[in-house]
Amino acid sequence: MLIENMRMAFSAIRANKMRSFLTMLGIIIGIGSVISIVSIGDTMRRLFEDLYRKIGITQAYIAIGYWVDDWRQSDYFSLDEMERIKEIFGDEIAYMDSNANTSADAYYARSTVKFNYSGIDYNYQEVQPVNLIYGRFLNEGDVLGRRKNVVMDTVSAMNLFGVENAVGKTFRTTIYGSTDEYMVVGVYRKEMDPFQAMMMGANTEGGEAFLPYTILTWPNDFIYALRFFCRDEDTMEELCASIKAYVARSKDRQPEDFQMITAKEQMGQWDGMLGGLSMAVGGIAAISLLVGGIGIMNIMLVSVTERTREIGIRKSLGAKTQDILVQFLIESAILSACGGIMGTMLGGGLVKAGGSLMGVDTVIRPGVVVMAVGFSALVGVFFGIYPASKAAKKDPIEALRYE
Amino acid sequence: MRSLLKRWGGKKPPNYLTDNVNEDLIRLEDLVKVYDTGALKVLGLKRVNLTIHRGEFVAVMGQSGSGKSTLMNILGCLDRPSMGHYYLDGVDVAAMGSNELSLIRNRKIGFVFQSFNLISRTSALKNVELPMTYARKNKRFREERARKLLERVGLGKRAEHMPNELSGGQRQRVAIARALANEPPLLLADEPTGNLDTAASAEIMELFSQLHKEGTTVVVVTHEEEIAAFTERIIRFRDGEVISDRPNIPRTDAGEGQEGGIETRGS
Repeated sequence: MLIENMRMAFSAIRANKMRSFLTMLGIIIGIGSVISIVSIGDTMRRLFEDLYRKIGITQAYIAIGYWVDDWRQSDYFSLDEMERIKEIFGDEIAYMDSNANTSADAYYARSTVKFNYSGIDYNYQEVQPVNLIYGRFLNEGDVLGRRKNVVMDTVSAMNLFGVENAVGKTFRTTIYGSTDEYMVVGVYRKEMDPFQAMMMGANTEGGEAFLPYTILTWPNDFIYALRFFCRDEDTMEELCASIKAYVARSKDRQPEDFQMITAKEQMGQWDGMLGGLSMAVGGIAAISLLVGGIGIMNIMLVSVTERTREIGIRKSLGAKTQDILVQFLIESAILSACGGIMGTMLGGGLVKAGGSLMGVDTVIRPGVVVMAVGFSALVGVFFGIYPASKAAKKDPIEALRYE
Repeated sequence: MRSLLKRWGGKKPPNYLTDNVNEDLIRLEDLVKVYDTGALKVLGLKRVNLTIHRGEFVAVMGQSGSGKSTLMNILGCLDRPSMGHYYLDGVDVAAMGSNELSLIRNRKIGFVFQSFNLISRTSALKNVELPMTYARKNKRFREERARKLLERVGLGKRAEHMPNELSGGQRQRVAIARALANEPPLLLADEPTGNLDTAASAEIMELFSQLHKEGTTVVVVTHEEEIAAFTERIIRFRDGEVISDRPNIPRTDAGEGQEGGIETRGS
């Protein structure tokens, strides 16, 4: 009976192709926008997650809180303190540096390029893969000896030296007021997807280089913030808390006076924001389903009137009230679900097309698709109730007489 | 169904849908139908008493407004009488609810209408299957029986045709096949030849005669004497009352030469 009803529904929809399509259009647009908005949101979240995984999800910073009024010199970290923390938490911390950055012009022959320098420890590669193609990475000697060696990426090398393999070449730059000769010991290739480039800024004109963090501790080896990578993502929350507690104790302060920023938390904020946003906009798009549903109700009412005679015939052949009711409900549900399927294809297609245009892998969750199509069928059932009950209640004699 | 069962006073009831429980297929007792049009009450049928036995071939005749259509609707369980009783196969259907009446129409009555009333854009086969669908018969059974019935009415090769691809006579034969789908004891035809030419009319009436000979009770409502002439009993109505009820000698028996005569006329 159900199959028979569905067959009848499809033949009724096929009989009025244009009208059915126009009726579905509301649902198509509604479901299409819901699918595309939710998918765009999901894609953004995935991209942010990837980004954070790339820059290190276990990354964290600790510094004296900006809200603390009575700053003391001891609120800064010294290199010794840093060593002590490394010793105490050595099993759980994979890497630690002073999060030092500075920028200055670099000079080589006649070219001047603005460089951003990041101070890193020699084992940086353990937590952040660096695709070194020429020379070597910074070693322990460079860091301990504060040697003026740098590692830069191919683009920076091209900008400054005009060649990719700049190993052995030297340039002059001024860091914290002292101008010195620096030597390139290694060159790496930087790989970024378009989203990463968009979020972090692709370096096309300037330069970027790693140098020992011990060089960037001017003026007197006071370090404002510590940056570290935890070994285990799952236990990093407890680790951060105990580091905070330790630091506070050693500086004779309360743990609340210190600011701890973790990549995981930041990602969670993005995640929550994007999730909330796509839910809100998706909800607004869902309102258009209401409009689509009203369109379906309207056309079903027309259809019921047009087919009054058919209803009479069916009743004379023994169709019960509920048989007619179910027939029209199924027809309305199928009409709406077809719109839902088309809308899904439209929305999904748009997202996929946009994604491939921007070179981004898009996320379309099957659960969302199933829910969207299911919901559109539900819209059909809901808005079909009134027309179907009108059909079912028709008096067989009058219905048979209808011309 | 439950309320139907109650009517049998708790005893195990005969399966009234399948068993032949009564020799009087139709018994009307003091049947009255009043149409209430607000200000005015119109008497459609005035205390009609009528019995039609199983296996009869009856014509109900009358001018328009004579009450024959009202009677047809009540006999077909499409409408309920205002007063009196209508026993169909021994069961009083006068007080039944609309779903029970649907069940009765489905199992006990086969309708043939003046305008064929086939469902458009639906093949002859599917049209014939429809009453069996509402009787919740399975697909294979429905198809097999529908094909047999279409062959029975001479349309075996047209099973897949849509109604608009068939001639009037063919359509009416599909309608007859559909009416026979659930093997109802009563075949109710309302002006079945009203939209057909003489040749097709004769064919349809011949088909009714044959079905009658095979044991089906056939009631034909008509205003044409030539059509009524095919039947064995003619009941005439005027102003909602039976004015005559007499046996008739069917015209097809004698020299008319039914088989040959129809073929030459039909071609």
